[in-house]
Amino acid sequence: MAGDKGLHMTKSRMFLLILFKSLKIRRNRVAITFFSIMIGAAIITALASVYFDISAKMSRELRAYGANFFIGPAVSSGSRIADSQMIEEAIRMVPSDKLIGTSPYIYGVVRLDLGNAVLAGVDFAGLKRLSPYWQVEGKWIAVDFDENSCMIGKTLAKNMELKVGDAVNVIRNETGFQRSLTVKGIAETGQAEDEQIFVNVSLAGKILGQEGKVNHAMLSIVTEGTDIDGLVARMEGRFPGLDAKPLRKVSYSDGRILEKIKGLMAIIALIILTVTTLCVMTTLMAIVSERTREIGLMKAIGANDRNIVLQFLAETLTIGLAGVAAGLVVGFILAQILGQAVFGSFISFRMLVLPVTLIPSVIASLLAAALPVRMAVRVVPAQVLKEE
Amino acid sequence: MEKIVLETKGLTKRFGSVVPLDSIDMQIRKGEWVAIMGPSGSGKTTLLNLLACLDTPTQGQYILDGVDTSTLSERERAVVRREKVGLVFQQFHLVPYLTALENVMLAQYYHSMVDRDEAGEVLERVGLGHRIGHLPSQLSGGEQQRVCIARALINQPAIILADEPTGNLDEANEEIILCIFRELHAEGRTIILVTHNPELADFSDRVVRLHHGRVV
Repeated sequence: MAGDKGLHMTKSRMFLLILFKSLKIRRNRVAITFFSIMIGAAIITALASVYFDISAKMSRELRAYGANFFIGPAVSSGSRIADSQMIEEAIRMVPSDKLIGTSPYIYGVVRLDLGNAVLAGVDFAGLKRLSPYWQVEGKWIAVDFDENSCMIGKTLAKNMELKVGDAVNVIRNETGFQRSLTVKGIAETGQAEDEQIFVNVSLAGKILGQEGKVNHAMLSIVTEGTDIDGLVARMEGRFPGLDAKPLRKVSYSDGRILEKIKGLMAIIALIILTVTTLCVMTTLMAIVSERTREIGLMKAIGANDRNIVLQFLAETLTIGLAGVAAGLVVGFILAQILGQAVFGSFISFRMLVLPVTLIPSVIASLLAAALPVRMAVRVVPAQVLKEE
Repeated sequence: MEKIVLETKGLTKRFGSVVPLDSIDMQIRKGEWVAIMGPSGSGKTTLLNLLACLDTPTQGQYILDGVDTSTLSERERAVVRREKVGLVFQQFHLVPYLTALENVMLAQYYHSMVDRDEAGEVLERVGLGHRIGHLPSQLSGGEQQRVCIARALINQPAIILADEPTGNLDEANEEIILCIFRELHAEGRTIILVTHNPELADFSDRVVRLHHGRVV
């Protein structure tokens, strides 16, 4: 048995020796094959990395365009105001990893120094995540118990002749509230908010005499992989006094764009893989025709078809695996470039990319080897050994 | 009398209406040195391919070392080739990226087990002990042919089949190769030499002459 083991070790060493020496002698062709497979694998890796990351990434990108979910008092109740605690509990039903941002809103009319304006009480941290596209001159209000500052829409600021750092008197006759607030920031929103003044929701409650109440809440939810309709049903079931509704237009188009981009990537990957396979096949065929005499000789001194198939498959697989390994690295770098260029963010590495790159690349290499290996098996030694 | 190691009975090869080999009957005993001679187109190459089990006859029998090879599959013929035949080619046919030693070991690899020392000894035997690590491109024609002979000898084949072994060599190297064949003959090896060189045939025990695919 010990002798048997030694015999096999030597035989496998001889196999590896033939394998590597035959690869070494054909550096150029091996390099062409290696780079073909590497490029194919790199593009699959890059596309797959983006593909798997895109759902989350792109969804979040699209989520930058504002709220896509609304929670407010039920229309049937006739009330326009709801308990803020109830709304907060409803918001907590959204899975935390799907919730990009949320803010309660309470509105009322107040008198400023130079005229009336709509006052909105909001949660500034949430508002910033809901509306990252706002152009703010000065600063966002960073502290949610700050009751001496406000933010002002651009149009309103112009009409009221206010600049960042100015003080503005906020008066509400009904509640007798009057306080001078500092303008922390001026926001250009391109929407109705340009004519509003923003304060923390707690301060707005005091000003409007509606503490603990809000008009509604707006949410930004990642729609990819979220059962929005189910969420609506569960919320309204638990809080009969509330209306929950997705702002359909944006939510659904998110998904459609994603599907289209995914399909496009799959097609590109398939085309690249086909081109790679053809290129590898041509190179391997050239290698086999260069080596017909060597193959003929191997057969003449006793190699059977299995030996020949094994030799060529092992060579192809060696180059193939090396190419895939390099392709994974290059592809991941490519994914970063794509991610930066298209989504302005890095693409994180996902384990799923490994099999998605490895399996098609190896199958493509073996497919590419099929015809050349058949050529090699069909070499007739008596014919090739006699040729001058 | 030594036993018969190679026997053909009515060995025939046809390609359509062309009959390069027509009913060859031949017996070769163990230890014999037989030269097969004939002009171009006499069927030498066809006969050589059949004797080397590289081709199958259309008709007739070929019994090599007790095995009737005419009905074997390609897979089985590969086994006969590595077990019973040692081939020496006119163009040497060494694997270009393997050293002299590795070329000899390649025959061991397909045969059974790889034994570096034994391969080295056989190269020593043909006078190449000092060149075992050289690639074929670094060897002269005569040296390449000696590696080829070492490779043919390594698995102790029943017959050594040489096809114009000195056809591509100068006189000095021809002399060396011939010398090796004489030694092998003296050791009792069975040698079949296909040639059209009468000088080479002079050293053989007997000559089989082919003409138009028949023994004359």
